Amino acid sequence: MEQKRIAIYGKGGIGKSSTASNVAAACADEGYKVMIIGCDPKSDSSITLLGGKRIQTILDLLRQKIDVKEEDIVHEGYKGVKCVEVGGPEPGIGCAGRGIIVAIQRLRKVCKSIDDMDLIIYDVPGDIVCGGFVAPIRKGLVNEAYILTSGEYMPLYAANNICKGLAKIDTPLSGIICNSRSVTREEEIVKKFSEEIGSKLMAFIPKEQIVQDCERDGFSVLEKAPDSSVAGVYRELAHAIMSNDSSVLPSSLEDERLRELTR
Amino acid sequence: MAEKDISIIHPRPSSIVAALYTLRDLNVDVAILHGPPGCSFKHARLLEEDGIHVVTTALDENGFVFGGREELSTLLCKVNEMFNPKLIGVVGTCASMIIGEELSEPVQDANLDVPVIGVEVHAGYPNNTKGVLIALESACDAGVIDDEELERQKVLLEEATNVEKRHGAASKEYLVPSRGDLKYKVAEKVINYLKEGKKCLTIMNAKKETGYMFADITVAINEVAEQLGVSDNVINMANVDDTLGLPRVRHHATSIMNDFREKGIEIHEIIGGMDEYPITGEKVSELIAEKYNDFDFAVITGVPHAIPMDNLQNMDVISVTNGPRQVYPLKDMGHSNVIVEIDLHPKTLGVSNIVESEFGATMRELTKDMQDAEEA
Ligand SMILES: Nc1ncnc2c1ncn2[C@@H]1O[C@H](COP(=O)(O)OP(=O)(O)OP(=O)(O)O)[C@@H](O)[C@H]1O
Ligand code: SF4
Ligand SMILES: [Mg+2]
Repeated sequence: MEQKRIAIYGKGGIGKSSTASNVAAACADEGYKVMIIGCDPKSDSSITLLGGKRIQTILDLLRQKIDVKEEDIVHEGYKGVKCVEVGGPEPGIGCAGRGIIVAIQRLRKVCKSIDDMDLIIYDVPGDIVCGGFVAPIRKGLVNEAYILTSGEYMPLYAANNICKGLAKIDTPLSGIICNSRSVTREEEIVKKFSEEIGSKLMAFIPKEQIVQDCERDGFSVLEKAPDSSVAGVYRELAHAIMSNDSSVLPSSLEDERLRELTR
Repeated sequence: MAEKDISIIHPRPSSIVAALYTLRDLNVDVAILHGPPGCSFKHARLLEEDGIHVVTTALDENGFVFGGREELSTLLCKVNEMFNPKLIGVVGTCASMIIGEELSEPVQDANLDVPVIGVEVHAGYPNNTKGVLIALESACDAGVIDDEELERQKVLLEEATNVEKRHGAASKEYLVPSRGDLKYKVAEKVINYLKEGKKCLTIMNAKKETGYMFADITVAINEVAEQLGVSDNVINMANVDDTLGLPRVRHHATSIMNDFREKGIEIHEIIGGMDEYPITGEKVSELIAEKYNDFDFAVITGVPHAIPMDNLQNMDVISVTNGPRQVYPLKDMGHSNVIVEIDLHPKTLGVSNIVESEFGATMRELTKDMQDAEEA
């Protein structure tokens, strides 16, 4: 099969990292070779795949002028998922965007196993503040983009903006994922939105306390609560992503239409 | 007048470089470039010729990502030990400014007894005089110059920018560099004019230290006139008022005046300080209208494009510049000959006496040859 290299975009705090790690775990359960690359200076993408442990980030090591090797920066987590964290400067100092560019360049140079992966997930921060944060896409590393949103106005507004951005840089959208915040008619709203921008709704993930409980203990839902219903949803989503072979250059909605949709 | 928003595509010195030269004029002993190694290298080297130390924090990829606060404070301490400076300048670059580096924090970290002027500048300003302005404002904040001097400099800078837009390096989107007219031909013309008893105006309107070489042209014309017995036909104007400008600039004026005096050359009209080249034009125009209207030709050196043509219409105008891109704009203004003193600037750094110009040397040689031929 062709390697899938995906990135999940969406409003800050909407659940990108937790969705990414749960999908990674679900795919690993299915026997896929998976890598997750955290591109957030917070370095919080892979922690639930590593039993709550934090790993050295690429930029931590580059900063110390260490000649980094694959084993220094690629750490195996749950069911062999390869975890990488880009890292970055402290908030308010230096240039995190430049950091992502540099770190990913280095990763690609030293990491041989990257080519053997079935699925690579780039977990990016919510707010794309400069060119560095879209570097994975811009440099052709990502071939499928997904957008995560709830049915609320602001997350949809952000999703809509991301659609504009994707169209501008000629990157197709492979689907919308709804991460519920328990809004009325939520699934219907997000489904409608997906269709109107020319895409499709991939999954509806309910808001469940267990997601946060597992996270707090340092695990994915798939590892800690494999029998929960939400684990089943992540499995379905993983399956949908791995078998998805259609994508579109998204259009975007007028603000008035967005408001109407969420009214 | 040039369009306000033309985009100039020929290479020009940046605001960073302009800030460096300004720090030099403020007599800093050390200038630290906070940015990538190699930034502004060529000018940094020239400034070393001029006696100031220029060093760099040499920010690398790590520096771009994590910032260079520590690198800068460490370097401040290091240069303090190495060079024992009385005044230090720190200059920003694109790289450090884009990532939002603060220059004041590392200065505090280093906690030196020496005053430090921090100049938050990058190379992205369309007019490089912006670099001078930021440097001067920072110097004022650091208490190195007073408000009065800052205000005076601001006026000069604005005029300097206007002069460049009107007829200078910022007058066209692209200016072709040129080596100008043959020095030999023009020297011959000047000598013949003098021989014919024509009345000559020399106008030196030089930018700061470049005056060390442009002054030589004034000297050479006077020497030739003397040998031809027509000294009285030459009137000299020069911007060598040594009571105006930053310390180093005043010093240049004093040095050049001393040399003129030693060589027995009288400057009949002092038209301003050595940083006033953008504003001397009006004064020169007035003087010509008042006293020198009947002169036959003028030799203008330094920043000739700052002198308006209004009262020069009846004269043959010959100009000497050090900017190869200044040739065509000057011809467009109506100058009949334009000469370029190639590589003038490096030769005027680190000196405190007049240095010989190629045009001056050519005039001297040619006069000798002509006299030898007449005697034979
Ligand atoms: N389906 C869900 N049910 C309950 N809680 C959830 C769900 N999805 C995410 N969360 C919780 O929401 C919080 C934010 O999620 P997460 O950190 O994944 O967001 P993010 O989009 O990656 O944020 P950022 O933009 O800051 O990277 C976490 O505490 C996470 O556990
Ligand atoms: S781009 Fe800016 S920082 Fe970089 S070398 Fe040029 S002037 Fe210096
Ligand atoms: Mg995240």
